[in-house]
Amino acid sequence: MKIEVLEKDERNMRLLIRETDVPYVNALRRIAISEVPCLAIGEVVIIENSSILQDEMISHRLGLIPLKTDLDSYNLPEECECKSEFGCNLCRVTLTLDAEAKEGTRTVYSGELVSENPEIVPVSDKIPLIKLAKEQRLRLEAYARLGKGKNHAKWQPVSKCTYKYLPKIEIYSKRCDGCGKCVDICPRKVLAKSQDKIEVRDLMACILCQDCVKACPQNPKAIEVSGDENTFVFNIESTGALPPERVLAEAVKILDKQLEQFENDLKVKKDED
Amino acid sequence: MIIPIRCFTCGKVVGDSWEEFARRVKAGENAGEVLDSLGIKRYCCRRMLLSHVEIIDEVLRFYEEAEKRKEARNFY
Ligand code: SF4
Ligand code: SF4
Ligand SMILES: [Zn+2]
Ligand SMILES: [Zn+2]
Repeated sequence: MKIEVLEKDERNMRLLIRETDVPYVNALRRIAISEVPCLAIGEVVIIENSSILQDEMISHRLGLIPLKTDLDSYNLPEECECKSEFGCNLCRVTLTLDAEAKEGTRTVYSGELVSENPEIVPVSDKIPLIKLAKEQRLRLEAYARLGKGKNHAKWQPVSKCTYKYLPKIEIYSKRCDGCGKCVDICPRKVLAKSQDKIEVRDLMACILCQDCVKACPQNPKAIEVSGDENTFVFNIESTGALPPERVLAEAVKILDKQLEQFENDLKVKKDED
Repeated sequence: MIIPIRCFTCGKVVGDSWEEFARRVKAGENAGEVLDSLGIKRYCCRRMLLSHVEIIDEVLRFYEEAEKRKEARNFY
């Protein structure tokens, strides 16, 4: 397997993965979505709420705020040594909020949450939590814990995790008369016409929709689009909880662990026979 | 009621873009272009902002009016 980084920034990553197959890449995608843990608020104690939103709605909003996650210093609640339902310092982060509208109506932002661990903070300070009219007040304590996307979407570290085959476009210049129909119909502007020839301008943008092939008046078609079934364009967009490369690294680790577990289970079965 | 924190479909955080989006669209900019510049690409996320009505502002008006009346009463 060969991996090439096409694009990468704080939140997004686009990779070209060669010499692998769908089962492996799809396993990584599914694990990134549903198994890689991240922190999210799970329990909220409302001390005072004179706002116009119900406690439940505020708790729900709090839960959806992605928190910067430190996977190395926190444990999953079910794996933590404390075995306590309430959690300990290694599996729980407490955040507090005390907001009051003294002057007049104002918006309370995610940045006003005070965390006991300065590393574990909302990914953005600008998320509106609630609006308070004058003299309304909101005081609460929230407990964030690690969790997995398969239990609730708030624990999903990625907002997009997709892959597609690397497109392969072939133009047979003998049959092509340069009518340009394929160029016009392409929704992603992949093709371009230069003099009487068709050129591939941006191969990666192709979504394999085959519209260009259908539009081609030649018989047999002068253009052919297919996907390379062993090469993938893999796309990750993190919610900000974890860097995208960390999400992928964790996914690989979890897959290895699950395979090992599966192998052990099989062995136990064999011994029993 | 109030802008959702995340996109209902994909889970991208959109709440933090709302105020800038609403301000710029009100100032006359093209909504699609504002969304592009905010980096909101997918149509699931774009509809979150495009179709949102901040009803909480309307509800809060009742509380603001009540507050004003209370102040007026105290004044006279
Ligand atoms: S398959 Fe679709 S996206 Fe790809 S080049 Fe043809 S029309 Fe464009
Ligand atoms: S539609 Fe077919 S014939 Fe026309 S330019 Fe494209 S490939 Fe050539
Ligand atoms: Zn613990
Ligand atoms: Zn979306």
